[in-house]
Amino acid sequence: MSTIVNPDLHREIAAFGCDEITRCINCGNCTAVCSLSGNGAVFPRKTIRYIQLGLKDRLVASIEPWLCYYCGECSETCPQQANPGEIMMTMRRWLTAEYDRSGLARRLYTSAKHIWLAIFGRAMIPLVLLALFHGLTGFRWIVTDRVELNRFAPVMWVWIAVLIHFAFLGYRVLSNAWTMSRLVLGDAPARPRIPLSVYLGELKTFVLHFLTQKRWRDCGPRHHGRWLQHLVLVAGYLTMLVLVVGLLGWFQTDAIYPWRHPQRWLGYLATAALLYGCVGALAGRLRKREQLHKVSHLSDWLFPGFILVGAITGILIHVFRYAGWPWPTYATYLIHLMAMISMLDVEVGIGKWMHLIYRPLALYLSAVKHKAEQAGSQALASDPRRPAPA
Amino acid sequence: MMNSVATEVDALVIGGGIAGLQAAIDLANQGFEVLIVEKEPSIGGKMIGLSKVFPTLDCCSCICTPRMAEAEHHPRISIITYTDVRRVDRENGSLLATLIRKPRYVDADRCTGCRLCEYACNMLVPHEFEGGLGARKAIYVPFANAVPQLAVLDLDSCMLCGNCQRACPTGAIDFLQEPRELVVRAATVIIATGYEMIPAGFKTEFGGGELKNVLTALQVERLLAPHGPYGRVLRPSDGKEPESIAFVQCAGSRDRSAGVPYCSRVCCMYAIKQAMLLSGALPLADLTIYYMDIRAFGKGFEQFYQNAKAMGIEFVKAKVARITEDQDQNPVLRVEIVEEDGRVEERTHDMAVLSLGLLPAWNPAEAGLAAPAADGFVCSIQPHLAPSRTPDEGVFVAGAAAGPKDIPDSVVEAGAAAMEATAYLRGHGRSGKSADPDDSIEDEQDTLATGDVSA
Repeated sequence: MSTIVNPDLHREIAAFGCDEITRCINCGNCTAVCSLSGNGAVFPRKTIRYIQLGLKDRLVASIEPWLCYYCGECSETCPQQANPGEIMMTMRRWLTAEYDRSGLARRLYTSAKHIWLAIFGRAMIPLVLLALFHGLTGFRWIVTDRVELNRFAPVMWVWIAVLIHFAFLGYRVLSNAWTMSRLVLGDAPARPRIPLSVYLGELKTFVLHFLTQKRWRDCGPRHHGRWLQHLVLVAGYLTMLVLVVGLLGWFQTDAIYPWRHPQRWLGYLATAALLYGCVGALAGRLRKREQLHKVSHLSDWLFPGFILVGAITGILIHVFRYAGWPWPTYATYLIHLMAMISMLDVEVGIGKWMHLIYRPLALYLSAVKHKAEQAGSQALASDPRRPAPA
Repeated sequence: MMNSVATEVDALVIGGGIAGLQAAIDLANQGFEVLIVEKEPSIGGKMIGLSKVFPTLDCCSCICTPRMAEAEHHPRISIITYTDVRRVDRENGSLLATLIRKPRYVDADRCTGCRLCEYACNMLVPHEFEGGLGARKAIYVPFANAVPQLAVLDLDSCMLCGNCQRACPTGAIDFLQEPRELVVRAATVIIATGYEMIPAGFKTEFGGGELKNVLTALQVERLLAPHGPYGRVLRPSDGKEPESIAFVQCAGSRDRSAGVPYCSRVCCMYAIKQAMLLSGALPLADLTIYYMDIRAFGKGFEQFYQNAKAMGIEFVKAKVARITEDQDQNPVLRVEIVEEDGRVEERTHDMAVLSLGLLPAWNPAEAGLAAPAADGFVCSIQPHLAPSRTPDEGVFVAGAAAGPKDIPDSVVEAGAAAMEATAYLRGHGRSGKSADPDDSIEDEQDTLATGDVSA
């Protein structure tokens, strides 16, 4: 098999964030200091070496960047201050772009202009749709003497639009995940035959890591706090996603329920979790105290920023609705909708949304590969001893 | 015996290590009056504490002690020990150095170095000269071949029992001594302040200096020295003879995270030397050197390195990232095996040696001289043509004060600094002729040195 060497690869990858790749002298301090490195997955040095050597084929097939949770110890102790932790972060962005065959992720990551264009472009969709709806109906649907959100934005129509949007998003997520799986497992001829039972049997790995991100805890007790904060954010996010996408008809209502009604307390809990998580992340990036917060790419700010906007507008809708102020309710609802639509579109393109899938998928694929190799080597070992049955 | 302190000399040499001694002797042999000022109680610097030199494996004491004695007995060299340089000012074209002589609590004129005070003292404290591995008394002669052979009292460890005072046959103990200021006028100054090792606790990943069986390279020099603290090589925690010893290269050097981006130049070779000497002292021990690159650039160095490999010393390309210890206080080194499959291993050794890098020992800016270069070492304004010249006129630099350097290079540079200083002195109307008409041998040397053959 030939190996393609691309000597400019480090420049291409540097465009995704860290440009200190060439500082690395391959001493191996980062790998040895890392508490996650081991069991066949050794990083960051090997990954950095592959970048320096321009071995793109190996890099696109590697899962190591997804196994790093950026505790920052490698960067703190790097003798060359090559910032290996940030290089791994940069690699995650680059891989996200490699998995996205549409090229959208690459455009967004490498150009701030495209990010802002995408955000404002997507935000126009709900605005235009609502304007069309009310324009065509002669504004008869808008009730101004009391709050009737479901007449300003009829929940069934909104729900249908959201579901259509999610079908698109789901297609993109699945196709990116498929591309990643193909790249990691190798091309069909070279790929070992993996029985379906292995794929199915290891699904538990995916679910476990998707829900708990428990590998992060292996970074060491110093980092348990950040893991917990992230877990709370994910829990809040997933709850909100279920409420808004799966149960919008029930969630978006003009009725005011009592306290103990799950529509209320589930919403409150999820909002509190989201606020806690995103304010923590934003404050960390502003303070720049921890190693992982010292360098921030524009894409790193977007997700917590969107969550903050979403949570605040969500709370305001709630307050205005209960206060009975129709126009402020409708206006904040529109802003909320615009922000959330752009968040979903942009985040499926780049980073935060996708890593929810890529991280557990990487662990799943490595478990599948490992199982298959084990089975393969066992078969190989047992073959020569046993004569073939005639 | 200490010579009388001159208040006006041709040259002031700051630092009495091998570079300072060589520069002082070279200047004095040309007929100039020289004063060496040393901050420690004895001259000899770092070299006198070392075991053997690379790459010839010659005995350090055997090379350094004669130099110390030569400086001590030279008619034109005065030595003032246990003294700091506070300021160097310029006045009417000459340099005025303000020195602070620290109290020895021992009258230098009366002390004979008989050590009766030392024997009488009851206090035992870790001995700095032995890297803290051996013990000394609160009043002590710094080490066996110290120059001058005078006791010094460490008042911080003293409980003022008076035993030493009663034991002293000459009544030299003086508890009432105070720091004394001395002003010396000199036409030229040579900075030969050398280096300090990076502190062993510089890196928390290496145990922060708390792990008992993780030694510094200078401590290992003492273990290997013929008159070292244990008289043989034992590990400090339990006195066990180590069967496996690891060297951690680039401990602090080439490490921007530790604030030392430069290569300290000597660590590769001293580690190889120590490994060789250890394999002589402990023929059955496994010796492993963990390195990023081996820099064997000097004359005879590469052969020395190849010899070490041939002797069975293992060289592993890996930067040690973390040192912990197991329940038996064995150091455990975490490394990536870079040249194999990149796996991460935790390797247990009986003892580990930090090949610590070199830091400048003195900042001339604190004494009012020019600020050092970016790396903290004394600035050289003409590094290629006149490396010993500093930004201050009439002030020269020699040895590791100008940057990490081994002994031969330090000695060569000391000679160069002495030559620069000589030219400077001659250019400023100082002939360097002996003031003493009876000193005929020195006169002859002067004649040769000045090239004045018609005399």
